Amino acid sequence: MGTVKIFYKDGCPMCPMAKRLKDNLQENNVDVHYYNVETADGLAEATFYRVLALPTILVEDEMENGLGEWRGTVPKVEEVLHVVQGL
Amino acid sequence: METTDLNLFVRTSEETILDWDRSKISDALVRETLIDSDTANEVSREVEKMIRKSGIKVVTAPLIRELVNAKLIEKGLESSRRMHTRLGMPIYDVDNLILHPNKENANVPHGPEATNLTLAERIKKEYALLSVFSQDVSDAHMNGDIHLHDLGFIDRPYCSGQSLEYIKKFGLNLPHSLSMANPAKHPEVLLAHLIKFSAALQSNFAGAIGWDAINIFFAPYLEGMSDDEVKQLAQMLIFEFSQQAVARGGQAIFSDINIYWEIPKHFVDTPAIGPGGKFTGKTYGEYEKEAQRFAWKLFEIYKEGDGSGRPFFFPKPIVHITEKFFHTPGHMDFLYHISDVASDKGNTYFVFDRGETAKISECCRLSFKLEESDLLDAKEPWRMRYCALQNVSLNLPRIAYLAHGDDAKLFNLISERFELAVKAHKEKRSFLEKLLSLGEDGPLSLLTMNRDGMPYLRFNLASHLIGMVGLNEMVQIHTGEELHDSRKALKFGLRIIAHMNLLTDKIKRKEGIKVVLEQTPAESTSYRFARLDLRYFSPASGSVVKGDIASGEVYYTNSTHLNVKNHINPIERVTNEGIFHPLIEAGSISHVWLGEAQPSKEAIADFVIKTFKHTTNDQIAFSPEFTTCNKCNRTSRGLSDTCTYCGSGDVDGITRITGYFTKVSSWNKGKLGELKDRYRNNEFFFEKQEKAVNE
Ligand SMILES: [Zn+2]
Repeated sequence: MGTVKIFYKDGCPMCPMAKRLKDNLQENNVDVHYYNVETADGLAEATFYRVLALPTILVEDEMENGLGEWRGTVPKVEEVLHVVQGL
Repeated sequence: METTDLNLFVRTSEETILDWDRSKISDALVRETLIDSDTANEVSREVEKMIRKSGIKVVTAPLIRELVNAKLIEKGLESSRRMHTRLGMPIYDVDNLILHPNKENANVPHGPEATNLTLAERIKKEYALLSVFSQDVSDAHMNGDIHLHDLGFIDRPYCSGQSLEYIKKFGLNLPHSLSMANPAKHPEVLLAHLIKFSAALQSNFAGAIGWDAINIFFAPYLEGMSDDEVKQLAQMLIFEFSQQAVARGGQAIFSDINIYWEIPKHFVDTPAIGPGGKFTGKTYGEYEKEAQRFAWKLFEIYKEGDGSGRPFFFPKPIVHITEKFFHTPGHMDFLYHISDVASDKGNTYFVFDRGETAKISECCRLSFKLEESDLLDAKEPWRMRYCALQNVSLNLPRIAYLAHGDDAKLFNLISERFELAVKAHKEKRSFLEKLLSLGEDGPLSLLTMNRDGMPYLRFNLASHLIGMVGLNEMVQIHTGEELHDSRKALKFGLRIIAHMNLLTDKIKRKEGIKVVLEQTPAESTSYRFARLDLRYFSPASGSVVKGDIASGEVYYTNSTHLNVKNHINPIERVTNEGIFHPLIEAGSISHVWLGEAQPSKEAIADFVIKTFKHTTNDQIAFSPEFTTCNKCNRTSRGLSDTCTYCGSGDVDGITRITGYFTKVSSWNKGKLGELKDRYRNNEFFFEKQEKAVNE
């Protein structure tokens, strides 16, 4: 099972969609980390993953290897689930 | 003059000997402090009594002043005592200073001029701490919570970024100078103006003088010159800059020249200025070939080195690589050419301006994304004059000792120290504002000259630098791991810098001044902080400071760098150090220490391309080491105690201290400790060499 990292900030046009994606994933029992890049934690994590566009959605396995990523776009929940479940 | 019955002579500071006159004490107290004349009289009577009782026959003015100060303390008049302070130095210190070299800044040679400079600096430093900054700021500096850089240059801004276009357009027309020069008609004259103006600027700034896009702005003057003539001009430029050591106390002009192979996007359509300060009718985009010719020749000179084959220490060549570089004909040849210099002499700085947003080097160590207003400036590049007013560094390990492992406390303390640094900036800013407001009759007249509708120094655009020392040790104290130990430690380091980055935004919004994070060069600061923490935070600090405690060669790791001793592959170092760079606007750099290894130009070029394409690192430099012989004047690779050619022991080691090359003998103890620790990547580059041979 992969975990999901979602990067957002207040006032970015597509970020509300990313929030809905987060809610949907959590309803599906996916482990989601939600980072506001205007906080130190969020900005640090975003810098580590070279996040240049918001929102950005990343999927990683337990060993923190990247499984999938969407930068500056919000995918459908099914697409993310597909990657998270390693299908 | 009224004389008292006291038969006493006073040696004054005006080199005269006067009869004792008690009223001089009370007059000075009333003039210099806030106390009333009754109290002043009382103090002067008591001091007189004390002197009379001692039976002394000749007193000096400084002694009287200190006796008065002692009385003021007795009476609880502490603020008046501060105002009545005399600035100066003990004779023992002056003696030492005149006899022995100053190791605080390796760029200053030893000699009478340098001693003058140091004496002046000492007094201005004391003046700054007593009179420019508030007590909490000064105390924080004194005890090593923060470091206020270049206090001895309190009456100047810190560093600056300049445009040759200004001299081309307006000639050399400086306030109070006896001669005035019209815009240059010939390249050699332009060069002379450049050097003269740099020297004038050096006496108005504390730090580096950087020149933007030098090869591009020279280009219109080079049409019709042969390759040999261009090379001669390049040679003159480098020699003149490196030999301006007569300027300030024998200190070379700390100069950077910024060089491009491509004409960067923001200058392509800019109307070019040519001989006589007139527009040539062409744009800089049309001068690409001439600009490239000059860039190439400059590096031919760097490759040759000085007469003894040593690298030139100044000016530092900074090559900007934009996306366009890789689409510009001849770029691989040029990359090999400058990589060859990097490997052989170490001069080349590779700066990476990634992405489509234009960047300019705004200052010695600033590069900024161009905003709309800056892009307008790029159309009239003589306006592109930038500066940073001051540099303040935070002692990060100190904060970690105080936080005792508590995250909230750690982050709160960082915010507190940050705010103190901002306070220091505001205080220096208002001091400089006062000096600048005196205009062309004031001390900073050069910076107030107005030739294009605004003062030379664009004060409203000035930056204020906040640096950090020892992130690695802070993380080590707080988490038990150094930055290179684990991904978790690295990410914790990122959180610290992200926190500081967000604070700069907050200050910009709140105070309206541009506060910028910088990787402080910290040539002496990392040593000073480590030493002070050994004094105040033992035993905890004993296992944290780097270097050798027994010999006193201790230091903290610079800025956000990884431990210099750690044996990691240079690609990994440049990648991991580069992760921090997007959060730090100014001066980010990774050093690749080479030691004796002399990688092929192909290996360096390959390394540079990989760094550009696969990392977020802003700037890299390769640092070889040399031994130069004072007997036979030859230079060999690596640091050794004797000359490999003639066996003489009269040799100097040369390598990069932080931001520039210099003789190792002039380094402070902290840097010597670091030099011993530096991992020189021999395995990596020798392996590469062998591989290349086998292939
Ligand atoms: Zn020799």
